[in-house]
Amino acid sequence: MFKNNYFIDFFENSPIIMQLVWVFIVMIIFFIMTTIAYLKYLRSFLRKNENLKNKIEKEFETAVINYLYAGNEIDEVSFEQKSIIDQFKSNTSEPFKRDILISTLLKLNYEISGEMAESIHKLYIQTGLLDYSLSKLKSRKWNSIADGIRELTLFHVKEVQDQVKIHINHPKTEVRIAMQLYLINLFHFDGLDFLNNITTPISEWDQIQLLEALQLNSNQRVTSINLWLKSTNNSVVFFALKLAKIYNQYGVRDELIALLDHQNIKIRIDVIHLLSYLNIIDAKIILKNKFNELTLEEQIAFFEMMENLYEIKDKPFILEHILNPNFEIKFSALKILKNLNIEEFNCFKNLTLEPEFVRMVKYIEAN
Amino acid sequence: MISIIHFLFFLYSFMIIGSYITLGIISVFETVAYTQKNKFVNYNKILSSNISPSISIIAPAYNESLNIIENVRSLLSSHYANYDVIIINDGSKDDSLEKLIDAYNLICVDFLINEQIPTQPLRKGIYKSTNPAFEKLIVVDKENGGKADALNMGLNISANKYVACIDVDCLLIEDALLKLVKPFLETTDKVVIAAGGVIRIANSCVIKEGKLLDVNLPEKMLEKGQILEYLRAFLLGRMAWSRLNGLLVISGAFGLFDKKIAIEVGGYDTNTVGEDMEIIVRMRRFMEEKKLKYKVAYIPDPLCWTEAPDNYKTFISQRNRWTRGTIETLRKHRKIGFNRKYSSMGTLSYPYWFLFERMAPIVEVLGVIYFAYLIFYQQVRWDYTIAFILLAYLFTVLFSIAAIISEELTYHQYKKKGTGFKMIMIAFLEPFVVHPFILYAAIVGNKDYYFNKKKKWGAMTRKGMTKA
Repeated sequence: MFKNNYFIDFFENSPIIMQLVWVFIVMIIFFIMTTIAYLKYLRSFLRKNENLKNKIEKEFETAVINYLYAGNEIDEVSFEQKSIIDQFKSNTSEPFKRDILISTLLKLNYEISGEMAESIHKLYIQTGLLDYSLSKLKSRKWNSIADGIRELTLFHVKEVQDQVKIHINHPKTEVRIAMQLYLINLFHFDGLDFLNNITTPISEWDQIQLLEALQLNSNQRVTSINLWLKSTNNSVVFFALKLAKIYNQYGVRDELIALLDHQNIKIRIDVIHLLSYLNIIDAKIILKNKFNELTLEEQIAFFEMMENLYEIKDKPFILEHILNPNFEIKFSALKILKNLNIEEFNCFKNLTLEPEFVRMVKYIEAN
Repeated sequence: MISIIHFLFFLYSFMIIGSYITLGIISVFETVAYTQKNKFVNYNKILSSNISPSISIIAPAYNESLNIIENVRSLLSSHYANYDVIIINDGSKDDSLEKLIDAYNLICVDFLINEQIPTQPLRKGIYKSTNPAFEKLIVVDKENGGKADALNMGLNISANKYVACIDVDCLLIEDALLKLVKPFLETTDKVVIAAGGVIRIANSCVIKEGKLLDVNLPEKMLEKGQILEYLRAFLLGRMAWSRLNGLLVISGAFGLFDKKIAIEVGGYDTNTVGEDMEIIVRMRRFMEEKKLKYKVAYIPDPLCWTEAPDNYKTFISQRNRWTRGTIETLRKHRKIGFNRKYSSMGTLSYPYWFLFERMAPIVEVLGVIYFAYLIFYQQVRWDYTIAFILLAYLFTVLFSIAAIISEELTYHQYKKKGTGFKMIMIAFLEPFVVHPFILYAAIVGNKDYYFNKKKKWGAMTRKGMTKA
């Protein structure tokens, strides 16, 4: 009692700043105690959760396998299958168990094919998981929408494409890429139609994902990319250029040449590399004629093209550049000269004693 | 006069605590946003993609003979499709090169280097493996020039778009390159010039064939204290600075850079011991002066595990170097400080680093001296003293616990039973057993910076990570 009074008196007689400090101290002690208790709870929760997850996962896996082998030729859904569906339905009301069921179905879906995979897709619908996925599309939260689209993709639900496509220009990139992957995984090259209408940028990361998804498709017949090369959305142009390279689209030669005058320098450089890859020699002539108007990066890309497409008539142009101040251009020019005419290379190799030039000549001679 | 001094100390403490709370809160939001965003990313599909951009891992090595074979094997075991590993043997006096030649069937090859950044010359030359299994490996043997010079040699040699500069003894997580290159590829409205991730301490962890098998908490208090310190710095500090686009440093242990910009600014500065911070500041300054939109990205994933000093001598030497590095960089780029022309870097990051990183140890020591003066003249108000010291201590403990919770909620790496209790104990003890040495190292670092200019890198004695 005495002690309590002492502390209360001490507190009341302290200046305001000290009172504040003691209030903070008490608050922090309270926070520390709370956070320690929370940490203890969190660690044991995480540990238990992991164990529980493993246990439920095993149970679901066994049930799904039983479901797959419980079918008969008479009923569309056998009695045993129906009881398994009911068991799953009772579990899907809990988000935790629903997520585990989805991941179990997906895991098994990856491991099997043919009729069995079809059965898993059916099970996804029969257990009501499809309805959950569709309800996510209407959510206000972007991560729920992306999650829903992802589930529809993985279970190949083609029928809801109109509901998915409305997210084409969603402000969140994660939703957009989920939608794009849905279209490509389910409709392959036909799914690329979204490129006609997309106004938001497709990041390089997303482009890689889309191209990888496209390459998984057994039908490699590419739809026309001409329109996309003329798109006002630069990322669509970049994507179309990648498509042209991977699928060797020689047919878009004119569109590619037109892109040499595109206002975006990165597009122009990518086009030069692509034209070189496709061996479109007309482009070389066009670029050679306006070489001095090109930026340094374009000039370097052009010389990389020249290494691939040089002809004997290019020799005077090459000779002009064997002393170019840029390392890459000079090196390319010397390499091309050696390939064009070894005697002339030998004549010009002592043109200067500049150390960089000498090193280049030595390297080219040795390789 | 005395009131003014008291007010200044109070104001400084108030500001530093306020900034920690603000950064902590921002970090939490940023980490939640990051985990939500990356929850469904299927890294495996992209890891093996040949369309993914090319990366060079540049790892300088100086007298690393003890672990060099294992370390290189670890770097070669990344799951990323499109990368090479450039080991720069920076004039080692031991048998590092011979060991590498034997282990990886290396032969000297002709190699034309575009010397865009001046470096020390080659010693024995450049080596590549005759074994196709090691085709990604390039070993460069050059004259000693220090870490920055070795990294510059790597920048000259790399033919790839991005360069990952890494300490050779670091253990990279298999998908580290992909996770770190993601910010460069997903950002569409600005250029990402550099990116870093969380560095974790591997002392006492079990490693086998370059892979992390088991995460353990070390026994020594110094090592445990550093684990907590890293958690605080990476999870509660840098995430916030990334959100504010104000990061001034990407850890030298592992960072990814846009090679073109790194070369354009002249590569690493060989005249500083804080080259990792200096290059980021210079790259940012370059982008600001060119008025280009840019970002230094940071991700909370633990990508790289490194060996931390396990004795006070090495620890002090390391922190001494960090202090000198910070002073050198801030001094070299003082034009940026409090300058609105450099946007958030000038008005936010630089002032923060100057006031709360550069000046903090000095203010702390001044505080101790002033306190001693007050004791000597019997002017101490013990009620005030006890209250303020208690408040500062409890705040530090709370902040550390917040970092531990953040770790549990995100990556939950220290799973073993009993580790949680040990971590809490470290949070309470760390201010007594680690912080005084950090303060001491910082003060010696200041002294060395002004009065011992010749001092460069201290030696780090490697014990090697625990092997299975």
